[in-house]
Amino acid sequence: MVTDMGYTRWCFVVLLLGLASMPARADFQVFACEPEWASLVREFLPEAKITTATSYLQDPHYIEARPSLIAAMRRADIAVCTGASLEAGWLPTLLQRASNSAVQPGRPGLFYAAEHAQLHAPHDHVDRSMGDVHPEGNPHVHLSPDQLPAIADALAHRLGQLRPEASGDILARYIRWRGRWSQHRAEWRQKAEALQGRSIVIQHTSFTYLLNWLGVDARFELEPKPGLPPSASHLSQLLTEPGLKNVDAILIAGHQDPQPANWLADQIQKPVLVVPGTVTDSGETQTLAGLISMIVNTLEATVQEESGGSL
Amino acid sequence: MFNRVVPFAAIPLVVLASGAAANELNPDVSVTLDGYYKQNDTALSHREEGFGLGHTELSLSAPIDDMFSGRLTTVFEEHDGEGEILIEEAYLQTNGLPGGLGVRGGRFLSQVGYLNGRHLHEDDFVERPAVYRALLGSHYYDTGLRVNALLPTPFFWQVGVEAFEGDQLSEGDESIGVYTLNTRVGGDLSVSQSWQVGLSYLNNRNIGAGETEEEHEHSEEDDHDHSHGALYTGENLYIADAVWKWSPNGNAREQQITLSGEYLYADDLNEYATSDDFHEGWYVSGVYQFAPQWSAGVRYGEVDLRAPHGDHFHSMNLQETDVMLAWSRSHFSTVRLQYTHQTDTGFSDADNTVIVQYVMSLGAHGSHGY
Repeated sequence: MVTDMGYTRWCFVVLLLGLASMPARADFQVFACEPEWASLVREFLPEAKITTATSYLQDPHYIEARPSLIAAMRRADIAVCTGASLEAGWLPTLLQRASNSAVQPGRPGLFYAAEHAQLHAPHDHVDRSMGDVHPEGNPHVHLSPDQLPAIADALAHRLGQLRPEASGDILARYIRWRGRWSQHRAEWRQKAEALQGRSIVIQHTSFTYLLNWLGVDARFELEPKPGLPPSASHLSQLLTEPGLKNVDAILIAGHQDPQPANWLADQIQKPVLVVPGTVTDSGETQTLAGLISMIVNTLEATVQEESGGSL
Repeated sequence: MFNRVVPFAAIPLVVLASGAAANELNPDVSVTLDGYYKQNDTALSHREEGFGLGHTELSLSAPIDDMFSGRLTTVFEEHDGEGEILIEEAYLQTNGLPGGLGVRGGRFLSQVGYLNGRHLHEDDFVERPAVYRALLGSHYYDTGLRVNALLPTPFFWQVGVEAFEGDQLSEGDESIGVYTLNTRVGGDLSVSQSWQVGLSYLNNRNIGAGETEEEHEHSEEDDHDHSHGALYTGENLYIADAVWKWSPNGNAREQQITLSGEYLYADDLNEYATSDDFHEGWYVSGVYQFAPQWSAGVRYGEVDLRAPHGDHFHSMNLQETDVMLAWSRSHFSTVRLQYTHQTDTGFSDADNTVIVQYVMSLGAHGSHGY
């Protein structure tokens, strides 16, 4: 029974250690699942300490619930994620292992951007033979010029709710951001005129919201099914598509393997455009507006070149 | 053993009750199909030669309310033509208690070691390392209570205690037969590299209470007994584990290397055991996912055992090398080809074998741990 006593005491030590070490911190800790939400939080609350779970070089569907992320989630005052099952492979494990009551589902500390947007292509019926299709709709909503203001609005209000002493500043920064966004949107709208009715090949539906908004046809995909890597048989089938003659370029994200795109580009003699799938750590693409401007400018330049070449 | 074997006929009922796809109020239903063809029987294996079904699971899980979530996992296994259903998990888990505490109660997989807390279908090889099969019955699950605390350190540091009934590891009279202590720390070395190390201790109080006769009989029929408990046990089991993962820019979708290894040591095997009588084993495993759909891996492991025979022990040991190649069409399907090479002392059935295995996941697919 001596050992028995020892273990009971050990249990108590563990419990006390856990309870007593509850931190009293002044800083506001943010866990951003994707860098686009980190950049948005930074716009509204520059003093926040932000941990970003993924980068523009990673496929956000497929990262792991690794120890450093569990520790970061444990500290978080708010977790800002896309939702719509984008993070289904790792976020539930993080939330459960981190045991942080502030960021559990249903609490204000867990913010899902997709809940504040109208998602494209929601499905009533989904099965896995369709590929990795999200029943809620396409979750890659961060490049949608029309949807982002609604998400930003909800995020700014949520941050204000969690940080009442800073809510005035947050709201003021949001209003300024909103003004700049509207200006950018007018510019993109202007440039979109040259892109109307153009056609490009994409790898995954990451850019669909933006391309639809620009009036660019993106019906050809390198992936045979969403989430499956491009296969030789799918690419050769794609080559037989009559509409493929009219495409101007192949657009892929920086975290995707460029080989399939390069192969197709050789076959159809069109350029491959590699752009970041989301905001980067530095440079002009470190904000969402900067990234969209960069993508729009790249597309515009390519289309002009293609038109110039074919005349 | 109580309530462990549910009549085979219960399967259709369970499936019918949950036949509809998961919706917002129904639990998530997931089924894992695991089947294989194995050329030869091998030592300490839970898979017989020929065609067979492995660890076929039906799992239901859902949040219960904002405080609790729950999970039920039943496993269908077949041994010598007899089917049985085991309840591997039936637990409630708290969500977000204050102070980083998490409590799990009911039946669940013990968190000792690196592999034990993981579901078998997440493994990179057909079977667990030989030392796991010998000392933990591949995976040790039991009925009990767990309290974990995640400490508010800048790096990941978790401590946990578990108390179990103990009968799933070795039968005995103690009402709380097994205690475990576990701690693990981890972090990132760079954007491409992450690591975790853990230490675990398992105290099996059912050992050493004058059960040597039964132990003796068990060891006599080791090779044919499909007991789900561990065949080789000691009062104290210590486990050290380490994992290191690398993927370019942290993008595990395209490529990933996983190196892992564990060392297990068990002593106080029974009342006749001297300080020279202990079980010991280790493995190291390297898996390279070289393309989104392909991975290849090598694993080497050893186990040295002291099989009790009355008041003395016989030494046995097994060395095992596995080489595998796996193809995953999607995240939900895997087909694996594996070659296993065994050399031994004291085992009658060590052999080399080729195994082809499929692991298919139907329905909801929960998120994986590290």
